[in-house]
Amino acid sequence: MDRRQFIKATALTGTSATLASCGNPEYHLIRFIPEEALTPGIAVLKPSVCPLCSAGCGLSVRVIEGEAEVIRKNQLGVTKMGLAKKLEGDPAHPVNQGRLCARGQAAIQVTYHPDRLGHPLKRTGARFTGQFQELTWDEALSELISKLDSLAMANDQKSLAFLTRPQRGLRSDLVAEFASRFGAPEPIAFEFFSDDVLRRANALSFGKEQLPTFDFAESRYVIAFGADFLGTWNSPVSQSIGYGQMRQGRPGVRGKFIQVESRMSQTGANADEWVPMKPGLDGVLALGLAHVIMKAGLRRPEAAGGAGTLIEGWAGGLAGYSPEEVEKQTGVAASRSERLAKEFADQRPAVALIGGAPLAQTNGLFSALAVNALNALVGSIETPGGIFFTPQGRVAQTRSIDKVADSNIQLLLIDGANPVFATPPAWKVRETLMKIPFIVSFGNFLDETSTLADLVLPDHSFLESWVDSRPESGAKTAVASVAGPVMRPLHDTRAMPDVLLEVGRKLKKPLSPALPWQTFEEMIRSSEKSPAVIDRRYSGAARTVNFIAPQFDGDAGEYPFHFLPYPSAAPQRICPGCRNYRIRSRARCGAAGWRSIRRRPQDCRLVREILWRSHRARVLCGFPRLCRRGLRPM
Amino acid sequence: MSHRWGMAVDLDRCTGCEACVTACRAENNVPTVGPEQAARGRAINWIRVERYYEGEFPDVRVKFRPVLCQQCDAAPCEPVCPTYASHHTEEGLNAQVYNRCIGTRYCANACPYNVRFFDFANPVWDKPLHLQLNPDVSVREVGVMEKCTFCVQRINEGKTRAKAEGREVRDGEIKPACAQACPTTAIVFGDLNDPESEVSRLSHSPRGSKLLEDLGTKPKITYLR
Amino acid sequence: MNLETKNKINDDLLRPVLHTSPWFYVIVLVLGGIIVAGLGSWMYQMSHGLVVAGIKWPVYWAFYITNFVFWIGISHAGTLISAILRLVNATWRRPVTRCAEVITVFALMIGALFPIIHLGRPWLAFYLMPYPSERGIWPNFRSPLVWDFFAISTYLTGSTLFLFLPTIPDFALMRDRTTGLRQRIYGMLSLGWQGTTKQWHRLESAMQIMAIAIVPVAVSVHTIVSFDFSMSPVPMWHSTVFGPYFVAGAIFSGIAALIVAMAVLRKVLHLEEYLHPVHFHNLGKLLLTMSLLWAYFTFVERLTVWYGNAPAEMAVFWETQTGSYAPLFWTMVFCNFVIPLPLLGIRRLRTITGTVVASSLIVVGMWLERFLIIVPSLAMKNLPYSWGFYRPQPVEIMITIATFAAMAFLYVLFSKFVPIISIWELKVGAHPRRVLTPQEEEEAQELWRVRP
Repeated sequence: MDRRQFIKATALTGTSATLASCGNPEYHLIRFIPEEALTPGIAVLKPSVCPLCSAGCGLSVRVIEGEAEVIRKNQLGVTKMGLAKKLEGDPAHPVNQGRLCARGQAAIQVTYHPDRLGHPLKRTGARFTGQFQELTWDEALSELISKLDSLAMANDQKSLAFLTRPQRGLRSDLVAEFASRFGAPEPIAFEFFSDDVLRRANALSFGKEQLPTFDFAESRYVIAFGADFLGTWNSPVSQSIGYGQMRQGRPGVRGKFIQVESRMSQTGANADEWVPMKPGLDGVLALGLAHVIMKAGLRRPEAAGGAGTLIEGWAGGLAGYSPEEVEKQTGVAASRSERLAKEFADQRPAVALIGGAPLAQTNGLFSALAVNALNALVGSIETPGGIFFTPQGRVAQTRSIDKVADSNIQLLLIDGANPVFATPPAWKVRETLMKIPFIVSFGNFLDETSTLADLVLPDHSFLESWVDSRPESGAKTAVASVAGPVMRPLHDTRAMPDVLLEVGRKLKKPLSPALPWQTFEEMIRSSEKSPAVIDRRYSGAARTVNFIAPQFDGDAGEYPFHFLPYPSAAPQRICPGCRNYRIRSRARCGAAGWRSIRRRPQDCRLVREILWRSHRARVLCGFPRLCRRGLRPM
Repeated sequence: MSHRWGMAVDLDRCTGCEACVTACRAENNVPTVGPEQAARGRAINWIRVERYYEGEFPDVRVKFRPVLCQQCDAAPCEPVCPTYASHHTEEGLNAQVYNRCIGTRYCANACPYNVRFFDFANPVWDKPLHLQLNPDVSVREVGVMEKCTFCVQRINEGKTRAKAEGREVRDGEIKPACAQACPTTAIVFGDLNDPESEVSRLSHSPRGSKLLEDLGTKPKITYLR
Repeated sequence: MNLETKNKINDDLLRPVLHTSPWFYVIVLVLGGIIVAGLGSWMYQMSHGLVVAGIKWPVYWAFYITNFVFWIGISHAGTLISAILRLVNATWRRPVTRCAEVITVFALMIGALFPIIHLGRPWLAFYLMPYPSERGIWPNFRSPLVWDFFAISTYLTGSTLFLFLPTIPDFALMRDRTTGLRQRIYGMLSLGWQGTTKQWHRLESAMQIMAIAIVPVAVSVHTIVSFDFSMSPVPMWHSTVFGPYFVAGAIFSGIAALIVAMAVLRKVLHLEEYLHPVHFHNLGKLLLTMSLLWAYFTFVERLTVWYGNAPAEMAVFWETQTGSYAPLFWTMVFCNFVIPLPLLGIRRLRTITGTVVASSLIVVGMWLERFLIIVPSLAMKNLPYSWGFYRPQPVEIMITIATFAAMAFLYVLFSKFVPIISIWELKVGAHPRRVLTPQEEEEAQELWRVRP
């Protein structure tokens, strides 16, 4: 090949490569004019609020200019825009103080998720089949408005229902306002942790109907009953910050931490002592501890005040809860509960907390009241190292999800809740929802609940919209966070509050009185700069409670416990003893229906996960090789 | 003053929540490989939380230990690399030059901590997940080794900012993503050359020890138990 | 030597070269097909990345490096044995040397491929070479892999020369027996060989020098290969015994491979009159020595680990001894020691069949040995949380099979184009007095005398 040939060949391949690239539809996209001026390569930190749980952690979002495919006026195109790159904790936020949990770190992918819905959808096939067709916002909104109008025409406003997340803030205020002005009952808040039981218990014991805030940083002794406070429960980041301080934040002082629970949670894994016990009997153990404390004369029953009087037999020193009786019922050795009780009373400040699974038992309220009384007994209410209640502003009233089944709902609006996925089949949420004639979802994804919807009006992601939060717990001071959009929307979505406001304006029979705001931004801007703290003292009828045995629905075998480890976390080898990494141990009947694990000698010595569910246990084996050698790592 | 970056990890504070792991992935464009490949041992975690279980049921104790590149002063990964892809920087970091890496994976074998990871395939980010990629960190292509950098992009940014403002880098000003996220402040990062820094103080704590210290790798991460 | 014997040797040994049986094409096609499949697997691996292989975190080295060490070990068959036998002037060596040297060259070529096959980015393998890069970046001379590069390239050059030198007179012979293109090629390869006294003299000196030079090279090559492992602080790798252990193992597997190759040649090319039972008998004795030596090294290696009782090493130790690698480990012990010992140790059993059975087992056993050195240690390094398990994937298995096919293929082709037994040496060995003039013989004896 001589030089000329070479040049020709190069030109030819170059041209054809260019031509080939022209065929790629990606290069045909329209280029929109950038809507904002950013310096390329320079990161800007913008505030936001983490929406993934009700803790309401403050975010500091790192935004850098980039090129994105976006939909503007139904047209796909490319534009330069600020893109959120990473979520970081806001150092100035009183709840998370610059920290952020794993879930919060991953929240950014809500915005960038490949499966995120980009258009309004209308159901075409049967429910749960996932057959939808795209439609424009005008069509979608007129459909929703016509449904609302027909409810108003029939004077059946009561059959409109909202199903929302348990978040406190202007967004939920707006939903509640809309519902009440339309004439519908208050929204249904779906939450998984049965925190309502604890709110009720706190209301009864301390007159505060809200979740507690813990001052772990000052505590010397912590007993947690089932509360996964380092994992997911309540305000995990703020609680973790306190936990770190409790362990090593004070020179020469290391707080001790006991976890009482039936399944070893991530929190239980961190405890100095993990106390396994029979499920549903947390209250019994708490009262057992109180009994020991009172009997030994370490505290007088009156010290517990109102919280104590709620418990039957409290003034008499809880004669029925002797350590021996507690051992018989809960399986926690008498000597152990005695020791724990004395430590709990001796170490000051000490705090007990309850959350998660014990609250979800049929006797959850009793357990919560018992733990409250125990706390009150050692004087850890609103004292350093104890329990605090974050001052609250106005809180929109909500209903619990079990109301769904009772009421005759004709039109259900779902905002960010996925109860079909999160509830056990026994609750029959899906069946209940299937009966509702028309469901509208504001979800970003076609999740288990959205696939039941007749109309999906995809919301902006939290990074694309105005967000706010008034956390119920997590700080000793009142907290209200508000933040504007961090980036412009990627898809043809609309913020749910804006949609509600627009719908409200277009109704044939207007809301009475009409909502005064055009947009959610306007609502946020016009809201009070420092909302008044309202002391919501609860004054319910004080009635003493006594222990009720927990009840379990059906046979445990009906609800097999599925342990789904990430494949990467799964044991990489099959246990030679059991031939499976998930073995069901041979359970042996003990006293009072209590079963203990007896494992064959060839089974693993090291226990990877110990999972207890009602009266059954399964053992997951980890590193079988290691156990066979009797080697212990570390 | 030259820096010598180091870290202290307080195991008593660590709760094994893995916020550090997620933060690291988000910061450093660490690719996800999908559940199937992860099950086959192709997952990449620049930092991982190791779990160890002690004792018989019911007296079980669990211990967590975040393990990331120990940035050893006598790093076994460095001399074995035939192309200098793995080398020591002036500030004591074990750097990995992706462009020089030919993928012998020798460094990973020599590393006693198993904190070096191989890119078995070209990373994939389904649209529009690619918009999340951090422009300050290069995306690694198939066939190279990657590992924790102590968030060198943040170190450089912090140093540049300090220089522009005509001052020294303040202690705690530079934080890698893991230390920044850690809810319990178990991870503390800083300059070991600065005797006043928090990390220097913690590194001399009587509770401190190095991971696999007897191998003589001189790690720059101190674990406090 | 009378003319008939001379002609018979010529005829017998040149027959495979000058006459082609249809079986040759069948074999070439079959082996070629397997090689193409192996190449296809490699291409597949390159286009998809090593994700298709079975290696994983933390077992980053497995089949490919096993094959690498194995083939480098096999390569010690030849050159080392042939050089030692030449140096000690063992006359029975004459029909054996070339078979052995060929194994060396081809096994090295195949073995040297594996470090490239296993690379994450094989297209950048040239970074290992000290080439004048515009940025002035050199390879890291502290890295055992760079030592490998130099050791193997030196050894490959040396053993190719060592194979080529004694082939020159045979090339000349073939040049004289062929016509056309083949004559021209053989003519080029024979480097103008005329069989003059001066040329014989120079050939002998050159071979003597090469024989002496190649021994330290061969020893160093496998020591350096062992350094790939023993330089890392990996449990059961970091051992001083690895150098001699690897060299002994290499010679061991090399002799075994040689015996197998000889037996095949003897059967296929009808060389019964040249490869006598005595060759197998003698090589069998060598193999027995190496088997005992190998067992000794294995014992020593394991005993010191066990006695030292370091936790990290003990994990690997027990895993290979009684754990999931135990079937492989004990198969290896049986293949390398327990079965060969009686087969080679008892004179009555040290027949052609006996040695071939023992050798085949040893080849398998030595492959397992390489695997067992590499994989369990990597799978169970110091931190138990990061332990893993390795399972080979089809790509790795295919490429491994293909390299065995490639070895056979190259061997078949070589024996097609070059007499696999050195014709001139055989003639010299048979009747040296009749071939050489008294003066030449004196010179020759002077040359072949064993040096103290």
